[in-house]
Amino acid sequence: MSAQEDSKQGPEGGDDMLAAEYVLGVLPGAERALLVTRMKREPALEKLVEEWHDRLSPLGNDYPETVPATSVKQALDKRLFASTAATAPERASLWNNLAFWRTGAIAALGALAVALIVPATLVSPPSQPSPGLAAALVSDASPVRYLALYEPSGQALRLSHVAGERVSGHDFELWLIEGGNAPVSLGVIPDGKAITITLSAEIVRKLAEGAALAISDEPAGGSKTGAPTGAVLAVGEIGPI
Amino acid sequence: MVAMENADHIAKLIVRCALKDRAAFDVLYGAVSSKLFGICIRILNDRAEAEDAVQEVFVRIWTKADRFAVSELSPVSWLAAIARNHCIDRLRSRKAPAQDIDDAFDIADDAPSPERVAVLASEGRRIDTCMEQLEADRAVAVRRAYVMGESYEELAGRFKVPVNTMRTWLRRSLLKLRECLET
Repeated sequence: MSAQEDSKQGPEGGDDMLAAEYVLGVLPGAERALLVTRMKREPALEKLVEEWHDRLSPLGNDYPETVPATSVKQALDKRLFASTAATAPERASLWNNLAFWRTGAIAALGALAVALIVPATLVSPPSQPSPGLAAALVSDASPVRYLALYEPSGQALRLSHVAGERVSGHDFELWLIEGGNAPVSLGVIPDGKAITITLSAEIVRKLAEGAALAISDEPAGGSKTGAPTGAVLAVGEIGPI
Repeated sequence: MVAMENADHIAKLIVRCALKDRAAFDVLYGAVSSKLFGICIRILNDRAEAEDAVQEVFVRIWTKADRFAVSELSPVSWLAAIARNHCIDRLRSRKAPAQDIDDAFDIADDAPSPERVAVLASEGRRIDTCMEQLEADRAVAVRRAYVMGESYEELAGRFKVPVNTMRTWLRRSLLKLRECLET
């Protein structure tokens, strides 16, 4: 994992003190967000944070327990498991991400609506329901958001860029992650709002079986090693629309 | 804490959530939702927002359950950290502090609840002993920061000291706490 971009912004006490302040909850918003981003790429920092969570967690015994209204669980179930049981896992993670967007970016909703409606009306013959696949690629750690859509009519993955710009001199690279296998590169994502990436039949099969897509931060031209080298900027499981 | 009795039980439920076992998720919700909702209410000081937040917390638990495997935290601490992190993120993205912060202050300054007294006898005891070694106002500041998510600015305003002074207070207090906890 490359962390070359990280500024060593260390106040007295360095990262350990930042980790303590993060866990205590007092870091100002921007410093807090920066620390969360760094944690994703710096396991050592994440470990410091965990150690402070562990130390201070007995202070949490002060929280009085309160039973939430039953409507909370109902809304949660609706949000996570709105679809039928057969495709619940895939759909669940897709809808999670969509729900995340709903609280995050209004713009994402627009892109989503367009992306979900267009293929359904243009592509699907009425006799063949739900042939498309989609993934919302997001991460709490970065502002990068894409919507990925596979239309079964052609061997192409359509990517819709929703938010988050690449650092100059860097590229976004798209990866297919299938089970415990090593990520397979689907290539550098060209700059632009709407991108089409051609897929091999093999990749299409894997997608249909339920894989995840991820986007990593890579040097210009993509990873030189064939494996992701930079931070994972966004990730999402692909599932039926 | 009716169903928090067994950390192993909670850990297994989290792992089963990572495998997308919905039944396990339901049991986990039953076991820990009142604890996590309590955290959200205390930090956000707004029941409606806390309901929204606790939903988001459980969405994260469901989607990030696989991360538990690589965490060294106890299952309950891991769950509580997700709730606190999310609620404090919400607080920090608010434009202004909550209006009714003084109400919250009254709640927080109450004498220890029976529940809290009970935990003094268990895992909380050590940190409470260490907290007692801090100067009284600093211990209150540490507790308010952790329990209610108050920022340096809010604490500085409350204790009528510059923000930098508050930051120094809390950093020194954190170092003292660590030293005490590790001896």
